[in-house]
Amino acid sequence: MNDKTFKTVAGLAGLGLVIGAWSLIQRLMYGLNPVAFGSYVPWGLWVAFYLFFLGLSAGAFLITILAYVFCQEKYESLARLAALTVLVSIVCELLFITLDLGRLERIYQFLLTPSFTSLMFWMFILVNAMGAIYTFKLWFMVKGYEAKVRSLSWLSLPVGLLFYGVNGAFFAILLDRPLWNNGLTPVLFILAALLSGGALITWLGWLFRRDQDLTRALGRVVLGLLLAFLLMELCQLVVAWWSGGALARDALKALLVGPNWWVFWLVHLGLGSLLPLFLLSCREAPASRSALACLIIVVAFVAARYAFLLPDLMSLRVQGLEDAFVHMRLSTAYAPNLNEWLVCLWVVSLGVLLFALGSRYLPILEREQGGEHV
Amino acid sequence: MAQPLPVEDHLIRMQRDLKRALGRDQAKVRWSMVIDQARCVGCHACAIACVAENKLPPGVVYRLVLEEEVGDYPHVGRRFLPRPCQQCQNPPCTKVCPVTATYKNPQGVVVVDYNRCIGCRYCLVACPYGARTSDFGEWYTRGTAELDGKLVGQKAAAQGYEAAPAAEYSKTWPARGSGSPQGNARKCHFCLHRLAVGLLPACVSTCIGRATFFGDRNDPAGLVHELLGSPRLRRLKESLGTQPAVYYLA
Repeated sequence: MNDKTFKTVAGLAGLGLVIGAWSLIQRLMYGLNPVAFGSYVPWGLWVAFYLFFLGLSAGAFLITILAYVFCQEKYESLARLAALTVLVSIVCELLFITLDLGRLERIYQFLLTPSFTSLMFWMFILVNAMGAIYTFKLWFMVKGYEAKVRSLSWLSLPVGLLFYGVNGAFFAILLDRPLWNNGLTPVLFILAALLSGGALITWLGWLFRRDQDLTRALGRVVLGLLLAFLLMELCQLVVAWWSGGALARDALKALLVGPNWWVFWLVHLGLGSLLPLFLLSCREAPASRSALACLIIVVAFVAARYAFLLPDLMSLRVQGLEDAFVHMRLSTAYAPNLNEWLVCLWVVSLGVLLFALGSRYLPILEREQGGEHV
Repeated sequence: MAQPLPVEDHLIRMQRDLKRALGRDQAKVRWSMVIDQARCVGCHACAIACVAENKLPPGVVYRLVLEEEVGDYPHVGRRFLPRPCQQCQNPPCTKVCPVTATYKNPQGVVVVDYNRCIGCRYCLVACPYGARTSDFGEWYTRGTAELDGKLVGQKAAAQGYEAAPAAEYSKTWPARGSGSPQGNARKCHFCLHRLAVGLLPACVSTCIGRATFFGDRNDPAGLVHELLGSPRLRRLKESLGTQPAVYYLA
């Protein structure tokens, strides 16, 4: 990253941190009082962003696995960049999910009083394990200890697969949640993760390397993943429709024609899927077009995560609940407020700043020398 | 004209059942609630009593009354469904808690350890009855006028009352705004703090239609045990396998 680009990116991230700090302070001072979600829609924008960063880390994880476990040399040039991406994404994931806790100061309870039957506990363990592995892995990459990098890559393979699988199962096990409660959800999660993360790495690879062939090759992989993801999403909705009954129909109604219909139709399907599909389908198109398609997929993927998360929460488990006791926290209507958006801005800005600093001061863009320093 | 024979109020019998249950081996006691929908008049007294007893802030509710209109005109009617926590014997909410903050106590009541709960709200999402709410730190009296009380340092107005904690789980909690249960998941606990001193849950005591019955379902002499033999008995969403300890007489 050259001086000018670095200063611009760091400056923008700094501005985001300053603006977002206002809401972050509100969050830390007043707990979850300044947010718009409530008890019937208990998770909102921050959890959607958590899922978004989860996806980004997964795609980057795949690149490091291809390079160091499956020895695909063409991906080695992107491996350090991918490792940095995984690490920064995990930092953002952890921040989002920690800020979403009603009593975040008790996070140590995960270690003091763990519940081994809870998938959230395993998520906590696995995300921290991934964070630790990738911290060391990046360090060893930078130092050129290739043998250690390969060992850690082998270790990260089962840990990573478990982590991304558990995140899907986290939703799939919930009773009476027709869109989530089926066997397709963990598969959809893995595909979503590979798609968004793969698209990010393709775009970053183009941004930093300008490698036409690699970008085109990755673009084709992303195209395949996009088609597979859309097919799986369709399967999930159809299965829910045919098997879920009234609750499923409520959830689908919230997704397709509810107040946030445009998130699904316009942002996720239109902008985030059909446009990239068109851009990636042109065989003779320049690599820059593939990179642009991937950037669009990444940016719009927040909408895909939002569209996955909200409809099932917005459908009432027991009819009439909203009318029985009226309060804004006991409502299925949810639209993120400014505080939530500004906290997102703060965390994303922090992620961008960390990434800019990493790519500026760590030798992540130097080609692998293949030297052993064990 | 002959006077009707005096009938014992169900509350008296339930009070007697409770006393007997408290005297039994507690490992064998299983608290249950039976709600007779034919007797419920939809007055919401139970919901209000619950709010008052547990000093629930805005947006937190343990027991509410659902209303439903049935039939086609002119043959129409209204049906009421009070919905406390169903105290499932196979609770989906306890399994998902990552820090074992919510669990089933020996008498089968699903409780929350406020000092352990991290406020992740996974239990809210997991509950198929929507029976858990999160305390987002709302106040009824925020912004209302405050007056100095007769005691130095005390306030006379409503905010002082609201700040004083309830005795949930028979424990002393910090003043509202300075700790748990704010930020926690909260739910009906069958008024365990009242049971501990020999009182029936607030919703049972205040039910004007005598539609809510409470007691030890393992006590063959108890009213609840007797009602569990009714052919009108049903449980909510029984197909999910959660095995609620709250029963309805439809």
